[in-house]
Amino acid sequence: MATTDTTPAPKAAGVPERVVYRGTRPGPIELVAEGFRDIWSRRRLARYLVQADLKKKGSDTLLGNIWWVLDPLLQMVVYVVFVSILTRSSKPDYPLFIFAAILPWKWFASSVNDATGSVVSQERIIKQVHFPKIVLPLASTVSGIVNFAFGLIPLFALLLFLYRDRASPTALLIPVIALPQFVFTLAFSIFVAGLNVFYRDVGNLLRHLLRLWFYLSPALYSADQLAHLSESHPQVAHLLALNPFSIIFESYHAIIYDDVLPDWGGLAGLLLVSCVLLALAILFFKRVEPAFAKVL
Amino acid sequence: MSTARADPYAIDVRGLGVQYSLRLTRKTTMHQSFIRVLRRHEGPTHFWALRDVSFRVVHGESLAVIGPNGAGKSTLLQVLAGIIMPSEGIIDVRGQVSSLLTLGAGFDQELSGRDNILLAGAFLGIDHREMEERLEGIIEFADIGQFIDAAIKTYSAGMRARLGFSIATAVDPDVLLLDEVLGTGDQAFRAKSQVRIRELIKAAKGIVLVTHDMNWVTQFCNKAMLLERGHIVAEGDPADVVRIHQERSERARLDKAASVAALAG
Repeated sequence: MATTDTTPAPKAAGVPERVVYRGTRPGPIELVAEGFRDIWSRRRLARYLVQADLKKKGSDTLLGNIWWVLDPLLQMVVYVVFVSILTRSSKPDYPLFIFAAILPWKWFASSVNDATGSVVSQERIIKQVHFPKIVLPLASTVSGIVNFAFGLIPLFALLLFLYRDRASPTALLIPVIALPQFVFTLAFSIFVAGLNVFYRDVGNLLRHLLRLWFYLSPALYSADQLAHLSESHPQVAHLLALNPFSIIFESYHAIIYDDVLPDWGGLAGLLLVSCVLLALAILFFKRVEPAFAKVL
Repeated sequence: MSTARADPYAIDVRGLGVQYSLRLTRKTTMHQSFIRVLRRHEGPTHFWALRDVSFRVVHGESLAVIGPNGAGKSTLLQVLAGIIMPSEGIIDVRGQVSSLLTLGAGFDQELSGRDNILLAGAFLGIDHREMEERLEGIIEFADIGQFIDAAIKTYSAGMRARLGFSIATAVDPDVLLLDEVLGTGDQAFRAKSQVRIRELIKAAKGIVLVTHDMNWVTQFCNKAMLLERGHIVAEGDPADVVRIHQERSERARLDKAASVAALAG
């Protein structure tokens, strides 16, 4: 990677009173702290970017922001048809079951997709103005929340009008699951946004990777339907257990479809792991950030 | 350098070098990078855009940086603005820096002019309260009428440039970095913008101006520096440096013409 870490050659004799730039590199903890400071000090920039993004997303279509409501519903229909054809025996109230997973997945996938190009697409301003680039993937992820929030409208409509016997107060726990998901999404987004500056293949690769990821996660099926797999291939089952979206989808299914409390321990573990991943992603991003203006 | 060490300075640059890796240039894909790894022993791997550059801008000085295309002028401004990290050397820039590099760089085509002003302010790191206070002044100076609430994509090139200039000059920095922004818009706006630039130059503690317009060099700057291939070739009185630059580029042109003529037979 094109880092600017060449040790500075001591040229002039006297050391100046205040040096602004020197080729030294701060330590990892310092860098992560700096990343958080960047985010906090430029929260207004992030807010404007989110507003701009939301303004644009609805502006060039006939139905505008109504698509945020229609989109997950249509996707649900597609999956219901698809899965009903493939497997005879579907779960009761299957549309609701699927919808509870599609909604958070769309949030994740669209945030990651937007974040991938977030740095690259601001090439012009990156070369003209010095600002913390970490704000860019942050804004993509945050504007995904708004999309997700709009998707809750059809979800509650489904619960209140079509599946009233499935409606229960446990569905109000959605924010508790959304929090670790947000931290995980942010970590992933920051990482891919930085990587994509150096390798533009990331976007192409990610589209397929995300699709595979979705099908490998218990979104369209429940985890216990994989029970036979853990008997014959225990390694595969272990691997699937490492998938953060196993926990996320199971939790959403629990509170929305089964009306039971989620696995608190699993969610707490996910939050913890996501925080560590976020710190690592920020560290990576801050390490490569100085090279952005040169590489773009 | 003629200035005494004790003089208060705005910019101090010593032994600056900026190196570009030719391996990681624009729009790499993994495929290309695999090829590069395989061929890593072939050809040059690095390129110095600037090397051994040392200078100082003391308070009240405005430095013009001139030179042929690809001399490293824009890279120098980018380093001073903090956009690019130096590969070696020491840079000390004192006070708030404003860079008027290419105008309207961060404009979002879908947003209105008003939204873009606030967005640009946020990119520049100006406090939003301050920016909201300045909003009316910026709109008035840009003079684009009711278009201010229309999307930037509906603007003419002139309107876009006027708005960019108006935003970029709305701040009053200690150190001002200017890159070829002076020939903006129509005659009337150009006169107005020259007055604004003069005010900024008067107010700022130090200025670095990159331009191809030699009139600006002699008119606005009290010091000039000639860059060629990343090195300082001449430095000093603007009129002298401009003369050296013109002689050298004339000679380069004649040499090129001669070699073309020789090739042509």
